[in-house]
This record gives sequence, C-alpha cells and structure tokens, in this order.
Amino acid sequence: MSKRLSILLLTAPSMIVLLGVFLIPMLLMLLLSFQDDTQAFSLQNYLLFIQDPFYLEILWRTIRISLWTVLCTLLLGFPVAMFMAQASGRMRGVVTMLILAPHLISVVIRNFGWVVVLGEKGWINETLLKLGLIDQPLRLMYNELGVVIGLTDSFIAYMVLAIATSLYAIDPSLSKAASILGASRVRTFFTVTLPLSLPGIIAGTTLVFSLSMSAFVTPALMGGTSVKVMPVIAYEQIMSTLNWPLGAALAFLLLGSTILLVTLYTRLIETKRYKEVFAS
Amino acid sequence: MSKVIDVELRNIMKKFQNNVVVRDFNLQVEQGEFVSFLGPSGCGKTTTLNMIAGFLDPDEGELLIKGRRMNGVPPYKRELGMVFQTYSLFPHMTVAENVAYGLKLRKVGKAEMQERVKRVLELVKLPHVADRYPKQLSGGQRQRIAIARALVIEPSLLLLDEPLSNLDAKLREELRDELKRLHQEIGVTTIFVTHDQEEALSLSDRIVVLNHGRVEQIGTPEEIYNRPASEFVHTFIGKTNRLEGVVLAQDGEGLTVKTAGGLIVRAARQQRAFAPGERVAVFVRPEKIRLADGAAADEVNHASGQLMIASFLGAFTECEVKAGGHPLSVKVQMDGQGMPLTPGRAVNCRWESEDVLVMPVERG
Repeated sequence: MSKRLSILLLTAPSMIVLLGVFLIPMLLMLLLSFQDDTQAFSLQNYLLFIQDPFYLEILWRTIRISLWTVLCTLLLGFPVAMFMAQASGRMRGVVTMLILAPHLISVVIRNFGWVVVLGEKGWINETLLKLGLIDQPLRLMYNELGVVIGLTDSFIAYMVLAIATSLYAIDPSLSKAASILGASRVRTFFTVTLPLSLPGIIAGTTLVFSLSMSAFVTPALMGGTSVKVMPVIAYEQIMSTLNWPLGAALAFLLLGSTILLVTLYTRLIETKRYKEVFAS
Repeated sequence: MSKVIDVELRNIMKKFQNNVVVRDFNLQVEQGEFVSFLGPSGCGKTTTLNMIAGFLDPDEGELLIKGRRMNGVPPYKRELGMVFQTYSLFPHMTVAENVAYGLKLRKVGKAEMQERVKRVLELVKLPHVADRYPKQLSGGQRQRIAIARALVIEPSLLLLDEPLSNLDAKLREELRDELKRLHQEIGVTTIFVTHDQEEALSLSDRIVVLNHGRVEQIGTPEEIYNRPASEFVHTFIGKTNRLEGVVLAQDGEGLTVKTAGGLIVRAARQQRAFAPGERVAVFVRPEKIRLADGAAADEVNHASGQLMIASFLGAFTECEVKAGGHPLSVKVQMDGQGMPLTPGRAVNCRWESEDVLVMPVERG
C-alpha cells in the first residue's frame, strides 16, 4: 500500500466528520445569510449591519474587548512564561499543571466563581467597604471590565504556553553573552529575550484574539445584558428572534472580521527580517 | 620594569549547597598572558571562569581585575570579552549587528562603530559576511564572529569557554592556530578553559591544571609536561606507562626501583627523595621507549617481551608490548628502516633513566 493511500485512509474518518458536521453546515449557513424574509437571494442582512450604528458599535466593542484581553494575557502571562523557561523541568511541570488546572472546571462554574470575587457583595467590594476605602461598591462586573477579567482568566493559559514554548528554544548563553557585552538585565530583555520570543507572542496573541472574538459564555455571564458582543447577538437572533438569516450573517461578519484583522496583524509584524530569522 | 598583573585570584572558594567545587584558588595573570584552565569535566574550571566573568560570586576570597576588586560587580560592568562554547551569536541580528552590539551599549558614534566593526571583521578574516545572519554561517565562521564580537569592545580581559569543542577536528586545529595568531597580534590578556590538553599545551603561556576543584599545578606547558607536580597532572596530560614497584636504593644520582613484574628501573634524580622499601609508581612516556630486535639479557631500564598490537597512525605506530607482566605502550617513529612490526614477535624495550618519573603511591 502506498504511503499516500494509507495517509488518506487514516485521515478519512476525521475528514468525513469535519465535512459532515462542520463544512457542510457552514456552507448552508452562508447561503442562509444571503436570504431575505421571502427566502429570496438578498444582501439585506449585510446592508443592515453596515447601515445600523447599533451593530457596528457591537462589532467595535467585540474587537475592543478582545484587544484588551490580548493585552492583559500578554502582560500577565509573559512573566509566568519567563519563570517557566528558567525553572527546572519539574517546576515547569508543576506550573503547567497549575495553569491548566482551572480548565478542568466548566467555564460556566468558573464565571460564577468570579461573582463571589467581583460582585457587589463579592469579597473585593466587602473588604474595601469595611476598610472604608470606598462608600459604594465598585462595579467590577456586568460591564466590559468584567468581561475582560473573565476572558483573561479563560485564555491566559494559551498565552503562557505559547510564549513559554518560544522561550524554551532560546539558548540561555545568549543572555550571558549580552550581559558580558555590557547589557543590564532590562536591556538584555528588550534586545534579546523579547525579539526572540516573537514567534510565541504572535502565536499567543492571535490565538487569544480569535478565541476572545468568538467567546460566548463569558461575555454572556460576566457582561450581563448591557455588554453585548457579536456571538451573543448572533445567538439571540437565532434562538430568540428566530431570524436565522440575520444570525447567520452576523456570524459570518464576525468570522470575516477576525480573519481580516489576524491577517493584517501577522502581515504587519512578520517583516522580511522576521521571516529570514525565524524561517525553519 | 615590573610586571603588570591584570587578574588576581586570592583564595577563591566556591560551593554549591554543601559541595565545594573550587577551593584555595590563587593565581596572578600578567598583562598579555595566555593562561589555560585545564582539567576533566567537573574540575571547577568553568565555575572559576564564571566567577571571573561575574555570573557567579565567590563564597570566599577576592577577585581583582586590573587592580579593582570585582566581588559583587555584575558582568555588564566588568568590561570583559567572552566567547562561549555554543557561539552564542544573537540569531535575530546580522553579523555586523552582533559585532556592533557591545559598541552600541557603549554609545560609540556611528562612523566609528562602522569603522571598528569593519576592522575587527578583517582581523578575523571574514569581512564579506557582515550582512548575513548567524545561521547562514558555518560553525567555524560563527566562532570567528563570536571572537570578533568579544574583541571589538577592546576588553581588558578575554575569556574563552571551551570555544573549540563544538567544531570538528580539522576546523578545531585551524581555529586554534587562529587564536594563537590573534593573541600574538593583539596581545589581549586571555583566560582559556579547556579539557583538551593539546589545545592547552599549544596555546598557553601558562597552564593551571585543576582536579576536583583543586589547583594541581600552575606552570608553563614544558613544566607541566616534563615536571608534573602530581600523578594526576602527569597522567592527564599525554599518554604514559605506569608501573608500580618498590624502591631498592636511593643515591646521589637517582634511584632504583623493582617493579611488580620484576623489571629493574633506574630513574634520574627526582624532585623529592625516596626511602628504600617505599612503594612507588614509575612512569615512562610511550614516545621515550625504543624498540629493538630480539631478546637480550635482563638489565636496567630494559624489558623484553612480545609485541601484541601495532596500530599504524601515519606519523608513528602505536604498539602494545607485553613485557615482564606489564603491558607497555610504545610509540615508534616510522622512518622506513625499522624492523617489521609483526604482532607476536619478540622485542626489546629500552629507555633512559632521565625519562623516568617516580611518584609515591598513596596507601589506600
């Protein structure tokens, strides 16, 4: 049996599943998004989106929340990844487990956990009130801040592991070389460690951005009714309003803008020099 | 004119947890000197180099560079050049950027920087690779660039951490000669860490032989090779034959030893005196033993035996002879008129009493 045939046979089951439950339904949804009330071909759903500031505002909010989440996971995750890169093999295992452990619990339950922490009667507000530092409870959730906190918690593991992987690949003697040439630790970080971890940063940021753009559970639970994002309104159109064509159009607009932004981002950051340095 | 001391180690001690890895390290390196730290892995040579570089701090003792106390001073304030085993070139910078890195940190002007980068690349004979990335270079080229990067800042001291051990044999020899040429041209004080005795012998003004964190001997290559201070130094540097025995007599000219296999060995005067009856080890280098035809009556510094193995190695042939119960390694220079070295034949081994080294055997 030829190698190509065996590869084909081995991947066939997953290919059939992907085709049947993913690709075909997607194509059907794409067709659906171009239908009007009379089921005739029309661009009305897309036109509605472009013309109505309400929808554009929701798209912009989705992007904004995702960007904040990327920034938070990057800033909080980088030091953890650096710690892992410098730690012994055993310590790395422990930290990896600690980072992944929260994912053993359903995201719904984790988000309710945040209520205990961030809610009006959560322990942050209770403590601050008791200390007399504030007169009224702070609004830490049911707004964009809450959504960003929830998403950061959900996706930071991806950022940490992506960056750690690229940090592992850096020869530790490079920072010694920089140091002996006269670079302080801060200087070494910005001139050696950071540029060399770029592949990990790109992988982590695109991953977290895409996941945040399409996140549904966390924005719905942590944002409440006031913070609507694209996946939530697409869900509402389909499940509550029963306007399937509009819901489908919203889903494809979300998909399209995510792909567009990620492509622009990687085009911008992967310069000629980047390709020359990191090409395998 | 008094000599200028560039580096001084005073009673340096370093331990990891409760494990002492370097102890009582005393050394003065003169300006322009090339000093090697030589020893097996785990002997403390790299630890000591890392203390001089500033990556580690000694637990006891003082480190002075150019007369300045360096304990606690971070590496980036020491003005040193260092070359690592793994080249350690920055992969995201071109060759020119790598070399210019230290100059940039020193805020050297652009015109001067370009000039100095150009000059140092010419010095290592690689002026044409300035715009390439390290991964586009061969191993030997990378190490030359690493040397250029270390030299361009005009360091007060150049540290070389096994810079040749990742290269293949031919390249290693080439770069070794290159290092020698560079040192003669620039005259920068250099400390070179290696486990390769040939590298140490060929490059150094002086060698520090280390074992288990202890300095075994400090001396010129000739001293280390010909007048080793300990059995370790003698056996670590070059091949040798070791025969255990007992001292028969000691007189003004030397001593006589009877080996366990019954050979009578006469040795010229040693650095210390031995008492008759003392247990000793006798050493003769393979290249100091001559082979002759047939068997002869047993006399002093003479062993007859059987040729077991002969390995032709080009410039010489390495032979193993079984003589008086001792396996002897003998290096025979091939001049085309020697006797045929057929395994199994009877041979005679002879050596001079000046070439015999005697060391006491520590009782276990």
